[in-house]
Amino acid sequence: MPIPTPPPSVLPHEEPLPPRYDLWTAAVFFCIGIAILWLCWQMPTYREQQGQIYTAPGLVPAFHGVIITGLSLWLGLRAIARGALRPGDDTPRPVREGYSDTRLALATALCLIFAVGLVGRLPFWLAAALFIFAFTTLFEWQGDAPLRQRVRRLITSAISAVGTGLVVMLVFERVFLVRLP
Amino acid sequence: MLDSLGQFGSAFGMFMSPGVLVTVLWATFLGIVIGALPGLTATMGVALMTTLTFTMPHTEAILVLVCIYVGAIYGGSRSAILLNIPGTPASACSTLDGFPLARQGLAGRAMGISTSGSWLGTLFGTLCVATLTPVLAELALTFQSYEFFWIAVFGIVICGTLSGGDALKGYLAGFLGLWIATIGQEPHYNFQRFAFGFTDLAGGIGLLPALVGAFGVAEVLQAMRAPAAKAVSNTVDSVIPRIGDVLRHWRTILRSGAIGTFIGILPGLGEDTAAWSSYAAARRASKEKEKYGKGSIEGLMSAETGESACVPGAIIPVLTLAVPGSAPAAALMAAMLIHDINPGPMLMIQTPEFFYQIVAMLVIADMSKLLFGLTLVRPLLWILLVPRERLMPIVFVLCTVGAFAITSRIFDIYVMLFFGLIGFVLRELKFPMAPMILGLVLGELLENNLTRALVLSDGSLAPFFTRPISGVLAAITIFSIVWSIPAAQVAIRRRVRGLLRRGAPA
Repeated sequence: MPIPTPPPSVLPHEEPLPPRYDLWTAAVFFCIGIAILWLCWQMPTYREQQGQIYTAPGLVPAFHGVIITGLSLWLGLRAIARGALRPGDDTPRPVREGYSDTRLALATALCLIFAVGLVGRLPFWLAAALFIFAFTTLFEWQGDAPLRQRVRRLITSAISAVGTGLVVMLVFERVFLVRLP
Repeated sequence: MLDSLGQFGSAFGMFMSPGVLVTVLWATFLGIVIGALPGLTATMGVALMTTLTFTMPHTEAILVLVCIYVGAIYGGSRSAILLNIPGTPASACSTLDGFPLARQGLAGRAMGISTSGSWLGTLFGTLCVATLTPVLAELALTFQSYEFFWIAVFGIVICGTLSGGDALKGYLAGFLGLWIATIGQEPHYNFQRFAFGFTDLAGGIGLLPALVGAFGVAEVLQAMRAPAAKAVSNTVDSVIPRIGDVLRHWRTILRSGAIGTFIGILPGLGEDTAAWSSYAAARRASKEKEKYGKGSIEGLMSAETGESACVPGAIIPVLTLAVPGSAPAAALMAAMLIHDINPGPMLMIQTPEFFYQIVAMLVIADMSKLLFGLTLVRPLLWILLVPRERLMPIVFVLCTVGAFAITSRIFDIYVMLFFGLIGFVLRELKFPMAPMILGLVLGELLENNLTRALVLSDGSLAPFFTRPISGVLAAITIFSIVWSIPAAQVAIRRRVRGLLRRGAPA
């Protein structure tokens, strides 16, 4: 029997990435490092107030900026050495079985709509109920199922969403005495 | 000695009221459920419960968090054994032998091994907390700014090197975390760094919203992208641990306990590294190597003991140096700070009773875990079968409440979202998350001590390398970085082999 290995979602370091990904990542980190250094350079040193240069606000972040820049260069050079610039390296990553970018995009969109659009604008229990209802309905939707089954599923989702919203509100506000957004 | 025993006794006595015991039971059970559900991690559990318990008295709040932590690390093995999907990253190693055992119809026995290994591991680690913490705290009192600076850098480097995968990406993630910690008002002139005029940013990035984002929101997205998990069976044989399994593997238990605790003490590494290291060591020493990966009792025992011994181990540096040994320990440390407990070298002087209470909390949580491990098998099996489409939106709602609750700022929800998205992308790019979070935790320690040390030495870097402990920490840090370069590693090995050959008698 082959040894079962945990899915890569849990052990993210198992599959090596194509070097080109590392090169792009290095470029982004290089820009971040340079931006940090530039911003630190513009910070005051307070020397005119007899402040010591070692307590200047930009000193420590600049230290981090230098290291981030250096490490990104190391990552970039390593990616080039591994063939990031070699033609033919732009082969797309193999699709992992069962993984879906559509599900990911839908989940991200719903989470953003809830956290940015609904929270703070509606009572929290209602925002949570709407979010949970939309989430479960969209992900469990079966277009080819009989109408009766679809209606039953919608009703179950709505009841569980409203129930969860109310339970969250009661437990957090009454039991844990926590303020809700 | 007698005084210490008396203090331990009174700490245990404090938690022996019915109300507190009920708290222990629900918190441990909740921890096990959090750990068992794929997509919910111990870090997220501790971080979320930190925000929910901050109105409780501090001992009770920390007790809840310790129970959640202990329970979650153990609970992860349930889904590892039954679904071949680790409930927490720490249980990834348990899938190697736990799942094959379940496929052979021995899921109950596998869970029994997991329960006994985990229980003994935490007990071993707790014994180390009780004995090592006072010694290390005494040593830490001799540290000055130079040593604390190196401890912060050493933490990032060792975490980047050993947290799995690419060390270089670990360092980058760590220093990114250190830089993020500098956002907001700096300590000397209250200058607002990287705030761009935003008042909320000037207040800095909260550790808990970042933790909830990196370990909660990122997990939700990851879980929704991954294929759905299916249980291997819904029937389970007896879960009562066999005494024979424990006695036969006492060496493995002791070895894994020691490795797990040691890995826990090292900054930021955590339970997953402890489990893999214990497993590798057990396999190397085993007479039945061929069984590993095919349902080895010894392999499962080593992984479970190692990861559970790491939990108390990770609390040791929190208590002695204010440096977390794992990501959940970082959340626990944040909770201590919220409750006005100052972890670090002064803890043993200012609030020594808290140290005894922590030991008592670990023992009580471990006992509670054993109780649930033996009794609550079927309800956990049902919980495991909750579809992610129903679970994940609730998790996200809880994350939102958790991020908001501490300071009641909507901005913290945005911080959570940002760290969730960044965490997801970085994971996809094979960046480990632990160094980034450790960087966020250690940022203040590094900044305060670097500037103080430079002021004290008038800009001279010599004391950073010439003071004995500082020099040793610097040497280990530099060696770890060099060791992470494959070419340098080969050269060092060749050099050492050459030296040994030359030194050997002809």
